[in-house]
Amino acid sequence: MTTAAAPTVAPAEAASYAPSGIWSWITTVDHKRVGALYLYSALAFFIIGGLEAALMRWQLARPNQQIVSAEFYNQLFTMHGTTMVFLVIMPLSAAFFNYLIPLQIGARDVAFPRLNAFSYWVFLAGGLFLTVPIFFNVAPNAGWFGYAPLTTRPFSPGLNIDFWVMGLQILGVSSLAAAFNFITTIINMRAPGMTLMRMPIFTWMSFVVMFLLILAFPVITIALVFLLFDRFFDTTFYSIAANADPLLWQHLFWIFGHPEVYILILPAFGLVSEILPTYSKKPLFGYNVMVYSGIMIGFLGFGVWAHHMFAVGMGAVADTIFALTTMLIGIPTGVKIFNWVATMWGGQLRFTTAMKFGIGLVAMFTIGGISGVMHSSPPSDLQQSDTYFIVAHFHYVLFGGSIMGIFGGLYHYYPKLTGRYMSETLGNWHFWLNFIGMNLTFFPMHYAGMLGMPRRIYTYDSGQGWDTFNLMSSVGTALLVVSSAIFAVNFIRSRKRGAVAPNDAWGAGTLEWSIPSPPPEYNFAEIPVVTSRYPLWDLKAPEKTAGITHSAPDELVITASHAVPVHEETKRTTAKALGIPMPVPTAKPAVAALGLLIGFTGLLYLHIGDQRVAIAVAVGGVALFVGALYAWLTSPLE
Amino acid sequence: MAHKRPRQFAPVLFVAVAVLALAACGRQYPNSTFDHTTDFNTAVDALWDRLLLLGTIVFVFVEALLVYTIVRFRKREGAPAPRQVHGHAGLEVAWTAIPVVILALIAVPTVRTIFKTQAKAPAGALEVEVIGHQWWWEFRYPSLGVVTANELYLPAGRTANFSLRTRDVVHSFWAPELGGKRDLITNRTNYLWYTPKDSLAGSVYNGFCTEYCGTSHANMRIRVYVVTPDQFASWAAHQKTPAAGSLASATAGAARIARGLGAAGVAGAPRAAVLPTPAPAAANGDGYVFPREQLPRHAVAGTPLPAGIAFDDALLAQGDAARGRDLVTNLANLGKAQCRTCHVIGGEPSLLPRGDDDAKGPNLTHVASRHTIAAGVYNFDARTLARWIKNAPAMKPGSIMPPQGLGEYYAVTKSRMPVGLTDREIADVVAYLMSLK
Repeated sequence: MTTAAAPTVAPAEAASYAPSGIWSWITTVDHKRVGALYLYSALAFFIIGGLEAALMRWQLARPNQQIVSAEFYNQLFTMHGTTMVFLVIMPLSAAFFNYLIPLQIGARDVAFPRLNAFSYWVFLAGGLFLTVPIFFNVAPNAGWFGYAPLTTRPFSPGLNIDFWVMGLQILGVSSLAAAFNFITTIINMRAPGMTLMRMPIFTWMSFVVMFLLILAFPVITIALVFLLFDRFFDTTFYSIAANADPLLWQHLFWIFGHPEVYILILPAFGLVSEILPTYSKKPLFGYNVMVYSGIMIGFLGFGVWAHHMFAVGMGAVADTIFALTTMLIGIPTGVKIFNWVATMWGGQLRFTTAMKFGIGLVAMFTIGGISGVMHSSPPSDLQQSDTYFIVAHFHYVLFGGSIMGIFGGLYHYYPKLTGRYMSETLGNWHFWLNFIGMNLTFFPMHYAGMLGMPRRIYTYDSGQGWDTFNLMSSVGTALLVVSSAIFAVNFIRSRKRGAVAPNDAWGAGTLEWSIPSPPPEYNFAEIPVVTSRYPLWDLKAPEKTAGITHSAPDELVITASHAVPVHEETKRTTAKALGIPMPVPTAKPAVAALGLLIGFTGLLYLHIGDQRVAIAVAVGGVALFVGALYAWLTSPLE
Repeated sequence: MAHKRPRQFAPVLFVAVAVLALAACGRQYPNSTFDHTTDFNTAVDALWDRLLLLGTIVFVFVEALLVYTIVRFRKREGAPAPRQVHGHAGLEVAWTAIPVVILALIAVPTVRTIFKTQAKAPAGALEVEVIGHQWWWEFRYPSLGVVTANELYLPAGRTANFSLRTRDVVHSFWAPELGGKRDLITNRTNYLWYTPKDSLAGSVYNGFCTEYCGTSHANMRIRVYVVTPDQFASWAAHQKTPAAGSLASATAGAARIARGLGAAGVAGAPRAAVLPTPAPAAANGDGYVFPREQLPRHAVAGTPLPAGIAFDDALLAQGDAARGRDLVTNLANLGKAQCRTCHVIGGEPSLLPRGDDDAKGPNLTHVASRHTIAAGVYNFDARTLARWIKNAPAMKPGSIMPPQGLGEYYAVTKSRMPVGLTDREIADVVAYLMSLK
């Protein structure tokens, strides 16, 4: 396998196209920069969510402690869950969607670059809306799942839940916009010859996620609209005085909430499916099955939601149906595990940090998947539900699954993003402390739960049999904090000090590795024609792809798209020099997002002060949004 | 070297898990879900055993395969390029079909157990109404005319059929040693039943609210005493009647003043501002109560008293029950102690249920027969009771019971209580409540 000679000039100096300064970030519509914005924001929220967890574990390390008050603890556990789900895992996945999908499919940007930037700025607005309150002791405090009627005004009269409802509503706008954007991009902008079944597996898993987003988010939007109207305009969707059924909220939330967890895991599955083949020097085993199982998981994911409600008394028939559908979804998931092992089987495994995290996901997700199947049996679940056994399960799949997969993706793609490798020595420390810390934190929770410890409690009494398990979990958390600090150091230092990386940092087979690291603004000087699933291996190591079908699209397509055979691009220049029209940077998406933020702030102000001021601010925000949108829609893209 | 680690690590991991597993088999786990104490737990534990067995088999198989793979196929210098295998249809079929079989082994007993445990409760079951409140439990035995709070007595060997309701938010009723949990959903009634075995008589179990319900969700605990049928009958008969320390015991016709369950209550109290003095409390009550000295370790609350409530314990010895009774029951004292606003004390005409049966606070008729207060959070003794009365929200975050102590800080009004009881008066009230055995 040959690699192009490493560039003699460090990437930062060669990237003369890359504008600098805050304004360049506010006006960017370049998917790579939008991806970077998502990444840095999500990592910052990861630190905040991690500190929230650390405080909780400090409080729970011993029985009957008073490190934090009950009220503050309830804010902590709510915000830890909300932050990690909506402000960490989703935007980290979005960072990869943004950065990687156009590069993997041979496109120069996404279908709607300005909408893409808008998605990011709206996400940041929602993130601030949710996060700032904790510094004023009014953070959301009814759990990340916000069950009614606890979240209705009679039981939560303060601003806490107002922030929660609005923050999530804002985030929903961001996710939906992004989903439409990427569906359009993937369907329309693939390089010639890249049929759907030749797309890189990460792009495929992301494609499934986009459909989950557009089908699931409207449901929580409705649930939140009902709650918003109850809280602000005295409607009675969840009002117990008006005889509402609390299960309305629960059904709506979980019809969203269950697909949401597949939204959280499928991107990590996609990343691991890119990582394992690369470092095994073999293709992904069972690509077709991996695609179909991803689709099955997405589809079946809409049929299992009430397994979160086995204790509410739906009746034996409903319990049975959801038990069976939940068991069913274990099959496509298990199939993936076996395909990953088979990918490594017979390979030449290189244990880079990315590979370690990839293997870590396979190992840890297996555990989380097994406990998940245990929950699928309703009678047993009546002993497991709402205990630390559930907490153990979802941390194994979310931390051991999503987070590990994403860390693996970060080590794998850092060279593409920055032109330099992260330190493998620090990466080794990060991985092992993470692995040991994770298991030490979450494995004892299986025991604590089945031995009677409920969830969401700010303290517990001594003599209940839970002391040792809690202490172990808290010690493990300390290890996780240290491991994350090591990662942060590695991430920051390697930008300037890492070994310079070539185009193809690891010997992978997909298109993103054929262009410089970091890529120039236009991504591909010439759009390549793709003749198989692994275009770069076709070019550099054809023996690897001898076993799969090859074909080229017809001449008309190639001519129309000005495409050329797959090649490595080493020259770095500007789009202008090449005559490639690029989207013009603009602040309009950011301004529109700001309008949205102001509008919701005005609405919130209805519960704080003068009604007229509130309405004025809300109307002003909407006007700003509409104005920015109009300006955006009437100005050309390029 | 990184690639040597997996081999060294695996045995360490195995030992760690084994140690944890052994640790969990000890007898010091008083809230275990694994004990075969009731029909429900026996059936569910059988299901759990199967889940655990199959889960362990899958775990060992997959992880061993993974560890073998990463050890056996690590990169070796000079080794030839690996065979580029893209897939294998037969393997895909196999590792799809085998999980189907495993899941069938889970599904069949699951469905059987669902229908068995959710069938109608057996005839002759003891009906227990559970009404959840933020953050305490109301228990009623409608067939026995008993209303109590937070502590539940069950006769061994007889099915208890719980009907579960709430007037505020969603809660969940769970005593892990006895059975599964069931949510209390507003505007609905749920049901849960199980049968404690005969051999359980003399056991004490803890329970917990297991659906997040607000600030003091962690402090909404349950105590279950499983006793012999005779002890239960004695307890229930006593609980139904007014306590010895109350007015009704002192006046004729005590039996006619029932605490009532949903009865339209007496709206007012006798006109006289001074009430007749009750007879001295009968020695230690007539009904069975689980002996305090036999409480196991897990049933003795360890919650420390909050530092912020000052109370001179020496005053407790001088507490006068008669004065305390006057403070609590005499309507002329409503400016000082507002017990009547939320609590019911059977046998005290001014504290009988009024209007609908929506209780605002625990029924205190036999409060001194309980071993805990504040829903299982503190042990029931004079010191604790005094501080609870003085400032309940400081003892239990978010408690809806306002401080009764004069000058105590109340977070809801962000001010000090302008009316209330002095410490001396609290000591009197404590003495009165302690007489309600």
